[in-house]
Amino acid sequence: MNERFVSVLRAVIFVLLGLALCGIMFQLAGYSAPLMFQAIADGAFLRAGALQQALRWSLPLFITATGVALSFRAGYFNIGAQGQFYVGAVSAAFMAEWLNGAPAAIVIPACIASGMLGGAAWALWPGLLRLKSGADEVITTLMGNFLAGLVLLYVTSGPLKDPSGSGQQASSRPLDAAYRISDSMGLSPTIVAIVAVVGVAIWLLINRTTFGVLSGLAGRNPTMVEWQGARTWRIGLASFLISGALAGLAGTVELMGPNGRLTGGFLPGHGFTAILIALVANFSVVGTAFVALFFGGLASAALYLPIMAGLPSAAIDVINAAIALFITAKSSLIDRIAKLKGRTWKTS
Amino acid sequence: MEDIVIAILRSGTPLVYVTLAGVIAQRAGIWHLGLEGLMITGACATVLGIVLTGSIWAALLWAIAVCVAGSVLFWFVVEKLRANQIIAGLGLTGLGLGGTTLAVQSIFGTQAAVSAPFGLPRLGPAFGAYGSLSVLVVLMPVLVLAVWVMLRRTRFGLRLAASGEHPFAARSVGVNPSAMRLAALVMGGALCALAGAELATGSLQIFAQNMTAGRGFMGFAAVIFGAGHPIGATLAALFFAIVGAIGIKAQLIFGDRIPHDLLLGLPYIATVLGIWVSTKLRGGTKAANGFTELRNE
Repeated sequence: MNERFVSVLRAVIFVLLGLALCGIMFQLAGYSAPLMFQAIADGAFLRAGALQQALRWSLPLFITATGVALSFRAGYFNIGAQGQFYVGAVSAAFMAEWLNGAPAAIVIPACIASGMLGGAAWALWPGLLRLKSGADEVITTLMGNFLAGLVLLYVTSGPLKDPSGSGQQASSRPLDAAYRISDSMGLSPTIVAIVAVVGVAIWLLINRTTFGVLSGLAGRNPTMVEWQGARTWRIGLASFLISGALAGLAGTVELMGPNGRLTGGFLPGHGFTAILIALVANFSVVGTAFVALFFGGLASAALYLPIMAGLPSAAIDVINAAIALFITAKSSLIDRIAKLKGRTWKTS
Repeated sequence: MEDIVIAILRSGTPLVYVTLAGVIAQRAGIWHLGLEGLMITGACATVLGIVLTGSIWAALLWAIAVCVAGSVLFWFVVEKLRANQIIAGLGLTGLGLGGTTLAVQSIFGTQAAVSAPFGLPRLGPAFGAYGSLSVLVVLMPVLVLAVWVMLRRTRFGLRLAASGEHPFAARSVGVNPSAMRLAALVMGGALCALAGAELATGSLQIFAQNMTAGRGFMGFAAVIFGAGHPIGATLAALFFAIVGAIGIKAQLIFGDRIPHDLLLGLPYIATVLGIWVSTKLRGGTKAANGFTELRNE
């Protein structure tokens, strides 16, 4: 039995376990679990046009998730994707504001570059704190998420505030239609091209370069890599910066594509979902593409539930969280299946 | 002056309770990122308990029961299924945040804040200006001392520490590290319930979505900042509360010049600085080291 099959099997088993826990929670909260799952499946994959919607949500998630996978592979718990996503979107919005009036051929690349730089900058300080003084990146990146959320609130209600807004929800001035890279459906050749470039580039980086091999080894055994003479702090810093830049790019895509403007606290679960995708896909780029489609479906169901089925969208948060609870679990049962086929593949 | 002390005690007390939960878990070898989720669960369960039963004691018991159940689930996943502590902790936090929103929506049909007719018992007019503080504020120093005595001066505390630092050695003298972790997490669950209860009903008597706003994570940071010592971590938590209180005060004074969203960020910045200072003083912490283990499966 091959290793890849066992890892897919394990992911499926623990996702199912997570869903079972969700069923119990729905029932305890006073909802009918079968009805809830039926509505979620409808919203995510079964209704007409659902796959298109799933794809719309999965494309930015895929971008962020490949970055998370890269940093987790290298052994760094950068859980600040959400903050890097926000700061990226904010930087891109400032760039669009600053260049307002210039031709789209200049503005769009400039915004993308600025978004990626913004995201990378928001990953730089936790990266430096971790690599230079050993400060735990788990807590610094988490705090970075809260800070970035406040920066977004400040920007949308301050410097970039839309004066014609209702005041109900802080939001920035909408982007000029010429600078949008997709309509509000969120699917366009530009976005697909960006995603394809990211996918191929990260796949090559991980599978075909020295950096990819070394960073993968550093995640498993940093001491060994250090003794081999590689400068682990460089690998670490690059991992932080690339993952931050990709989260920033996803933020830019959301801003210039489907959203067209910043709103205070937009897509609050993006970073967490991207982390989940990377973990379920076991840090493989190809796997990330498929898993992103699944979670993209759930994300679109979060919009469908309250409107079409009258059910709270928090159900999707509960599903994501339950999957997170179980996804890193190991099971002796799966080990035994793996060994049964005569392969000495260890899982613990 | 009085009002600042009151503000610090009010915002610091929930933080200290959740920090103590983190300290106990950390002594037993668990880096507990589920604190945030347990705390919001405690806050929600307390308010719902008051609304549905009309008794604060029933509400507190109910909150403790729910948080202990969540802790047992976390223990099962981390100990029995050998899941990664950090990711499972974040999952538990997500379950708490999502589950409480779901419960409120299901009971009240809206996601708006739920207010309770009354909250925790207050100290009363005999305490002058401090009379509006809840009884849990007074209980806080007592509990800090109790946790210190338990961790540092009892056989149980020693076994707990052994289970965390050297489970193999603990096992060799007949201590079951897994059971010790269960005990630590159950105690932590009860403390998180109190933290949530104080946050929701200590002064405001309201439950709102995501009202913990990262306090559980700050408690986790206070454990690191305080080197895992109950009193050190308590001081770290109070330090974060002081920074928060300064931020609120600064809003009143400089509100027209410095945007208030950025002043709200002061406790988070203090937390990052706290972590940085503590690594400067004592070297890096190992919370993230579980990661190589995750990759090496």
